[in-house]
Amino acid sequence: MTVTGFETAVEEGRCGERLWLYATYHCNLACIYCLTESHPGIANRRGLSSDLLLQLAREARGLGFGSLGVTGGEVFMLPDMAETLAELGSLLPTVALTNATLFTDRMLGRLEPLADLDVALQISLDSPDPLRNDALRGPENFAKVAEAVPKLVERGIDTRIATTVDDQSEDELERLCELHRSWGVSDDDHVVRGIVRRGRAAIEGMGSEPGPTDILPELTITADGAFLHPFAPTVRHGVTDLDLLVSRQVTPLSAAVRRFVGVVADQPVGTDAAATFT
Amino acid sequence: MARLRLLERDDAPLTARHFYRDDGTASSLTRSLVNAPDLLESFMPFLAQVYAEGSIDVATKELVVVRVSQLNACQYCLAAHRPIALDAGVPPELVAAICEEAPLAELPERERTLIEWVDRYVLDPASIDDELMARVLDYVRDDQLVELALVAGATQLLNHYCTAFAIPPPGA
Repeated sequence: MTVTGFETAVEEGRCGERLWLYATYHCNLACIYCLTESHPGIANRRGLSSDLLLQLAREARGLGFGSLGVTGGEVFMLPDMAETLAELGSLLPTVALTNATLFTDRMLGRLEPLADLDVALQISLDSPDPLRNDALRGPENFAKVAEAVPKLVERGIDTRIATTVDDQSEDELERLCELHRSWGVSDDDHVVRGIVRRGRAAIEGMGSEPGPTDILPELTITADGAFLHPFAPTVRHGVTDLDLLVSRQVTPLSAAVRRFVGVVADQPVGTDAAATFT
Repeated sequence: MARLRLLERDDAPLTARHFYRDDGTASSLTRSLVNAPDLLESFMPFLAQVYAEGSIDVATKELVVVRVSQLNACQYCLAAHRPIALDAGVPPELVAAICEEAPLAELPERERTLIEWVDRYVLDPASIDDELMARVLDYVRDDQLVELALVAGATQLLNHYCTAFAIPPPGA
């Protein structure tokens, strides 16, 4: 099964071949630049069930998507995420974005099957300086990441580091690189990206507003609908921004893809791939 | 205050922005409907066709729209459609009568019969009997009556929507 125009749009560079899934808006942290205002006390967690995630992934594979991205919120706030990731990874190459603060030894054991699958865990870390990192991301974040990453690498799980740049100095970033190298994460697996001025970052006046071609469209599914790219389903003062919504309907996925293709056909070709996000 | 977000064009979903006018404005009804853009793909063209001239003239359709809105006490639709009815050529005294500002009994027989049918269609459709059907069909064909029924139904839908969500009437 294909949706007319999707594969062509990918070939023309009008959109990416990855499907993003916002597994939940719930998070155990409250990062100051968060796109979705995720935090521990969020009233409406707006999660996608494991069954729905798998249904979407199966359909995505049939529609010609090449990979999956799972994000949130903190995806491991969902109790069965470790097993779900293994199932997603058996369908398509998958990257899951996480803060790595919930990786107890028991959880690490549940994650071990990922080592044999094309599944990567992308862990956020913004500074080699524990105090500075934790000021941006939350108490004890640095220590938990520093504990988790070597254990993941040791278990053979594809582990990446993602750094969101605010005003970090070059020296600070270099020290951060030395740190992730010491944990066994190569430079190729370190993503550095700017803050996007949407969501909580917009309220705080942080980051820069992306231009129309700055972010490659990649269909992004949330509990609120389907959006143009993973920076789109942002939340301000508890209300989801709809300016980059492409469809409220997400199942069957083909309906959302059809509308997504219609939108990207009218958009200028992007100049920057979703590497900014992954 | 509206019970739904009324989205400005730049905040509206990409797939719904073409429902705004060239200057970026739109009615408060449209600005609320775009919260659910998928259905608008078919709903907006449906509404446009239902309310446009079809097998029956716009004036007769607007007569029905205003009467149904009066029966449902929809402030939004009355404010929006009274001027449209007048522009379409419905006489002011007829608009006043169907808005219960003048006696219905003084209306011409055709309009009185149509209003009787509309009233029963909206308030008590089971009460429409063969005798009323025969009288209505003296003035409109059966296909025209189908079209008027769709006009009444679409208006009823919008009346309920605008009232329930407190959509601000034009000029409010």
